[in-house]
Amino acid sequence: MRWIRRLFQKSRSEKQLDQELRFHLDQQIADYVAAGIPLDEARRRARLDFGGLERVKEEVRDTRWETRLDSLFRDFRYAFRSLRKDRRFVLTAILALALGIGATTAMFSLVYNLLIDPLPYKGGNRLTVVKIHDMKESGNRDRESFSIPEFIDCRTQNHVFEDVVGSYNLNVLYDDGKGLRKTGGAFVTTNTFEFFGVPPLLGRGLTQEDGNPGAPPVFVMNYRLWQGEFSGDSTVVGKTLLVNGKPRTLVGVMPPRFQAYGARIWLPLGLYPGAEGTAAPGNLPVYLWTLGRLKPGTSLRAAAADLVVIARRLSKFYPKEYPEQFTVTTQSEVEAVMGDFRTMLYALLAAVFMLLLIACSNIASLLLARATVRQREIAIRASLGASRGRLIRQLLVESFVLSAGGCALGCWFAYFGLKELMAIIPQGPLPDEADVGLNAAVLLFALGITVLTTILNGLTPALHTVRGDLYPRLTASGKSVSGDFRHGRLRAGLVIVEVALSIVLLAGAGLLMRTCFALAHVDLGYKSKNALLVRLIFPEGHADTADQKRVFLRQVLDRVTSLPGVTSAAETVLVPPYEGWQSGLTVAGKPGFEKLTSFFDMCSEGYFQTLGIPLVRGRLLSKNDVDSARRVAVVSQTFAHVYFFQDDPIGQKFKFNVFDQVPELPHDTYFEIIGVVGDVLNQGLQTSPIPQVYIPYTTTGFGNRAILVRTAVPPDSLVAAVREQIRAVDRDVALQEAKSLESYLYERSYQTPEFGLTTLGTFAGIGLLLAIIGVFSVMAYNVSLQTHEIGVRMALGAQQSKILTMILTKGMRLVAWGVVIGFVASYGLTRFLASQIWGVSATDPWTFGTVAAIILTVGLAACLLPARRATQVDPLIALRYE
Amino acid sequence: MGEAKIELLRGTLDMLILKVVALCPSHGYAIAQRLQQISKDFFQVHQGSLYPALHRLEDRGWLQAEWKNSETGREAKFYALTKKGRRQMDAEVVNWERLCDAVGQVLRAPEEES
Repeated sequence: MRWIRRLFQKSRSEKQLDQELRFHLDQQIADYVAAGIPLDEARRRARLDFGGLERVKEEVRDTRWETRLDSLFRDFRYAFRSLRKDRRFVLTAILALALGIGATTAMFSLVYNLLIDPLPYKGGNRLTVVKIHDMKESGNRDRESFSIPEFIDCRTQNHVFEDVVGSYNLNVLYDDGKGLRKTGGAFVTTNTFEFFGVPPLLGRGLTQEDGNPGAPPVFVMNYRLWQGEFSGDSTVVGKTLLVNGKPRTLVGVMPPRFQAYGARIWLPLGLYPGAEGTAAPGNLPVYLWTLGRLKPGTSLRAAAADLVVIARRLSKFYPKEYPEQFTVTTQSEVEAVMGDFRTMLYALLAAVFMLLLIACSNIASLLLARATVRQREIAIRASLGASRGRLIRQLLVESFVLSAGGCALGCWFAYFGLKELMAIIPQGPLPDEADVGLNAAVLLFALGITVLTTILNGLTPALHTVRGDLYPRLTASGKSVSGDFRHGRLRAGLVIVEVALSIVLLAGAGLLMRTCFALAHVDLGYKSKNALLVRLIFPEGHADTADQKRVFLRQVLDRVTSLPGVTSAAETVLVPPYEGWQSGLTVAGKPGFEKLTSFFDMCSEGYFQTLGIPLVRGRLLSKNDVDSARRVAVVSQTFAHVYFFQDDPIGQKFKFNVFDQVPELPHDTYFEIIGVVGDVLNQGLQTSPIPQVYIPYTTTGFGNRAILVRTAVPPDSLVAAVREQIRAVDRDVALQEAKSLESYLYERSYQTPEFGLTTLGTFAGIGLLLAIIGVFSVMAYNVSLQTHEIGVRMALGAQQSKILTMILTKGMRLVAWGVVIGFVASYGLTRFLASQIWGVSATDPWTFGTVAAIILTVGLAACLLPARRATQVDPLIALRYE
Repeated sequence: MGEAKIELLRGTLDMLILKVVALCPSHGYAIAQRLQQISKDFFQVHQGSLYPALHRLEDRGWLQAEWKNSETGREAKFYALTKKGRRQMDAEVVNWERLCDAVGQVLRAPEEES
């Protein structure tokens, strides 16, 4: 703690220094006297030897760190004082920086909390999904789950994972004494809780012993269920509840961020034969979704190489489970969850760095202007003995003060910006565990950005200012011509950079805007407006068979149709354009379609009317067809074209090859085509449809069902009424999802590009504003420098319009250069956005043209004001100006 | 005066001071005197270099200062070598000897007849 004392007891250390030096002096005098020199002479000679007490003291002081700290304090004080004199500059600079730093911090927070460290689990970044990839399939239809014997082999034989866990989700009905409730649950292997390494909030997690034969049945609950249904009552731990018809003891509650598999209830899965949960109803095998944690330092590729050996061995035992030619792919869990949205976030992060660069260029250019004006002051300080290093430090301190101010305000902006971002971010790809906020890592990042901006903003002007011979500037009037030329070039360069970067941002935003526009105008093939989608989940024992489903749905559809505001209602299994069951077909009397697949849906007769799908030929499904489950089918135009080309499809017969493999579906059954309807998109908005078949929903009792309701009123207003009607028929049937078809489409297809557009658009707007401020300030400054020249020209008879053109040309030349460089940069950079762009080329000339027009127009406006000021120069005053 | 020369002198001075202090803890004046004596008046250490050097060495923790009564009875600031200082000095002495050796070898190299 000595140093603190020294800092505050400066006077004392000064006194000691004085004492030390005086002792030396006196000793010298004493020695001289002893050598026989008279006292006065001895004193004189000792002083001469010593060479100035104060100078020595000064040199000693310089070696001490307090002095350095002290002078740093002085630099800060000085920076504050000199900045206070120039409030407008400070406000502009801090605001520009705050926008840059705030946007960057908010964006970084998203990237950090969603992509870098989203999972609060042990080694969250090393969690890896294993997939079996069929090398003959180009699509994304990899197998991600494994039978229990496969899982056990994979777990025990691999060399790349620390551990492997398996799980599968299921619906859980539990009875808390107040009635039967339904929630989502998962059977998990008993190493799961140790694997994730999150301590439970209450009680304990599941342990190995819970999976042993004869272990008492237990379960663990998530935080939301505990809060929502048990109102956070801690005495609930240890109680026994009926879970899926079996009494189980609740042994623990997990903390809020523990969301493994999105389940609310976790059940232990013992892996011994006959253990509970190891077989699906009907004694079918269960498949475990498998997740491994890589050993540190093991790459995904190395893991795949190790696992493929195991898979090859397994494929010999279970040839049916593996495609002929396959490979194993590995993907990090974070990547698997976030999917394509990662590209969007990274693109936005890159964009925000560009915005930060624009802000920095802006400040640097403002600081340069300031430095030019302050040349005299700097020259005076240099001549009074300030070293170059000292001057640079002083200028850097000034830039740091601005950056720190910008950082503080920026974090404040980031806090609110992040709230806005989270409100519009698509929830689909976000992991449940993610916790986006300004945490320590993000704040550290903001601090790092501040230091970076200090250097970016401050160093160039500082080096420029102290470069060359400082002394002649003392004699000049404060505006040395050579210096201005140099600074002018640098500032012009900075403005060009700003314009170029904002072109890139605007081009990106423009392309996303076009994408949104294109998506919004996709023809779905059906009418999504004023339609309500309700998905039903049937608990076991409710409407199991096809006939029971028909009875139930007939009642529900009749009741819903009679509701006021409802035009029609229909049953469906799948909802276009994202869902489809696929099957190869065998057409009677027409071989050669083995490689083709079609989508099929099972619906009621009102389906086509409800969705507004037009009939092209033949007839639609009738009530009679549905009720008696006749083997008839309606096909799409693409279907007719692909399978029958110019022949008449009506009356032709075909069977679904898939049906023969599923016990619940009618085997070896041929369906007769009775009608052709218009095409409906069935592979998402961005891909053209493949053949589609519609058959009566009464064909099988298999699977959950959905109801589509066409309304004459806003569909959301009918949700409660529809729910009531369904409850009235069977109160145990649950509504999984009830929303308008439009919001369903919005979430799946429109939200991500819209999020990108809003965010990138905001960045581009801020960037444009900053760039324009840059153009304006550099032009205004140039005009003020040229006042003398303009005065001379006007005195010699130059027209006002000539002067105006001269200034405008100068300004627009900067903007034009920025546009050219920006185009080149955009051409290279927009391709990184390519996966997020659709319906428009990444180098769309219309978008680029519009962007150029915007920049040129706004740039012209920014030049106009300074140019007008130039024309109003009074030659007499201008000539006297210097 | 070139920068390099100052650096060399300063570094050398630091080493010499450490060596003198290692002989026995002493105050600034005595250090200067002793340096002059030992080097047979070769080194005339100026106060403007000596005291900054002493304070610098103290700051680095190579020297430790203490106020004690001097031989004349007056209080003076005595400098003593710390453990860190001794290590530093040993290292510098080794370096110095190596340097002298190398310089000597180069200078002693026989000139070629041309």
